Amino acid sequence: MPGYSPAPVDRAPARPAGRPAPARRAPRGTRLERWAPLVLVAPAVLIVLLLRLWPLLLGVNFSFTGDGDRNGTAVGFDNYVALFGDPLFRTALRNVGLLVLLLPVAVAIPGLLATFIHLKVPGHRVYRGVYFFPAVLSPVIVGTIFNLLLAFDGPVNALLGLADLGPVDWLGNPGVAIFTVVGVHVWATFGMALVVFLAGFSTLDSSLLDAAKVDGASLLQTLRHVIVPGLSRTIQFVFVTTMIGMLTSMFGLLYVMTSGGPAGSTYLPEYYVWIQQGQLNQPALASAASTVLFLIMLVVGLAQIAVLRRTGKED
Amino acid sequence: MTGSRLTKWLAAVPMAALALATIYPLVFTANVAMKDRREYTLDRFAPAGALRWDNIARAWTSVGMSRYFLNSVVVVACSVAVLLLLGSMAGFALGRLRFRGSSAVFLGILAALFVPFQVIMVPLARIMASSGLIDTYPGLVLAYVAQFLPFTVFLMTSFYAAVPPEIVDAARIDGSTVYGVYWRIMLPLGAPALLSVGVLNALFCWNDVLISLLLMPSAEHRTLMVGVTALRGQYSADIPTFAAGVLIAAVPVLLVYLFLQRQIADGVTAGSTKG
Repeated sequence: MPGYSPAPVDRAPARPAGRPAPARRAPRGTRLERWAPLVLVAPAVLIVLLLRLWPLLLGVNFSFTGDGDRNGTAVGFDNYVALFGDPLFRTALRNVGLLVLLLPVAVAIPGLLATFIHLKVPGHRVYRGVYFFPAVLSPVIVGTIFNLLLAFDGPVNALLGLADLGPVDWLGNPGVAIFTVVGVHVWATFGMALVVFLAGFSTLDSSLLDAAKVDGASLLQTLRHVIVPGLSRTIQFVFVTTMIGMLTSMFGLLYVMTSGGPAGSTYLPEYYVWIQQGQLNQPALASAASTVLFLIMLVVGLAQIAVLRRTGKED
Repeated sequence: MTGSRLTKWLAAVPMAALALATIYPLVFTANVAMKDRREYTLDRFAPAGALRWDNIARAWTSVGMSRYFLNSVVVVACSVAVLLLLGSMAGFALGRLRFRGSSAVFLGILAALFVPFQVIMVPLARIMASSGLIDTYPGLVLAYVAQFLPFTVFLMTSFYAAVPPEIVDAARIDGSTVYGVYWRIMLPLGAPALLSVGVLNALFCWNDVLISLLLMPSAEHRTLMVGVTALRGQYSADIPTFAAGVLIAAVPVLLVYLFLQRQIADGVTAGSTKG
């Protein structure tokens, strides 16, 4: 790519003789023109620097200062000690562990569904559009709708009653509520992963699938030997985006469905940050929780890079 | 695959059931929104006796939904306009004009993509408060732009990097300035990518609750999604009106989805397969 450097741009080949110069010849090499690339990126760079990267540094710095009476003074790791002493935050971290355990399920479901859609099960044309549709709804709307459906005297329990199964306190039982919220999150977002998987399938060499068919491979064999290796990049991408989604986009659901309850059982780090900042007015403690959340995300990201490198070597 | 036809038919059954489970909650909500309270108490599942719009009218007028709706429209429209302008400018410069430091700039913006809002929300709220931007429309627009700009720049850069360089060269030879190339050639050329990324950004902004909850505390500035969370307190005894409010917030998104499904999916999958 030749590109344009800030150096004076005057590489236009000589015009054939006899042709008039273009009527609107621009002033070449003016300062404004030379700096054009920088002028074009400057607004975006300024906004990203000032409102994304700078706050990140501020937040880390802020997490080492005190709240309330000790506002603004350096307190070392006190906030972090308080954080890990808080049972609510420990529950939040335990729930992150739970999410990591549930992650393979949340990736396998859309992966399998995409496989069947790609293999053209009856009705395959409809499923992609239908499955994807909850992904465009706001978590607030999804959570509110499920509040209606999952109320103790609500429709879902009425259905269970018809089958002689006792009512389940979906949102009021501390042992159940986190699974309910994660389940609703998966319900709302699996279509996103499905669409990504289908895009991956479209790059898969179809002759491999045909060869497997000719050789009489079973569906499981095809999955294991053709589809999973062929889609390794896509699978990793879905793993990381699903994990990030679970860590950062469940706020709306938690806010609407459980408010962190019952008994703090549905806390996640992102909700904890909000409560400390917005409700309890402990911004420094909230910053410490943010920093921990960022470290978790960093670990997820670095793990992804490590896996990518390793598979890159195998190729 | 031996017996693959049977496998496919067997798979189709749970898939159809799942499709039903995906659609039904919204159908349920729409149905409830059409019922009167007596109908709802008697049987939650039965179809509404008639198409009644009075719940929707009540939700629209009596709880400020119309105000919240307007707030959301204004904020989303401004945010998307700024995002597309700044995103395409930077994307053109990074994708088509190489300059000193361009890869460092690109990497920096890419890094910002991985900083979630929850991590920066405390200092951001302080910055907004100290610059007098909290609880103002420009403040919220600026926050949305900052939040979704890295993604927009990333997508526009990869779009413009795929544009043949001859197009720029030809325009330059004809005497156009770089700004002219951007405004008269690159902006129209980028229309499909801009539509895709614009629709996605509009959905992100429209659906957000955390950022607007944090930066727009006063009731008159509430956006629609924050308004929905406030609905329950006011209509806990009147589920049909409550459902009507939810429907009002969901309908614009559903319409956008019906007409622009393809563009949304394109935006979501961009960059997912090339690694």
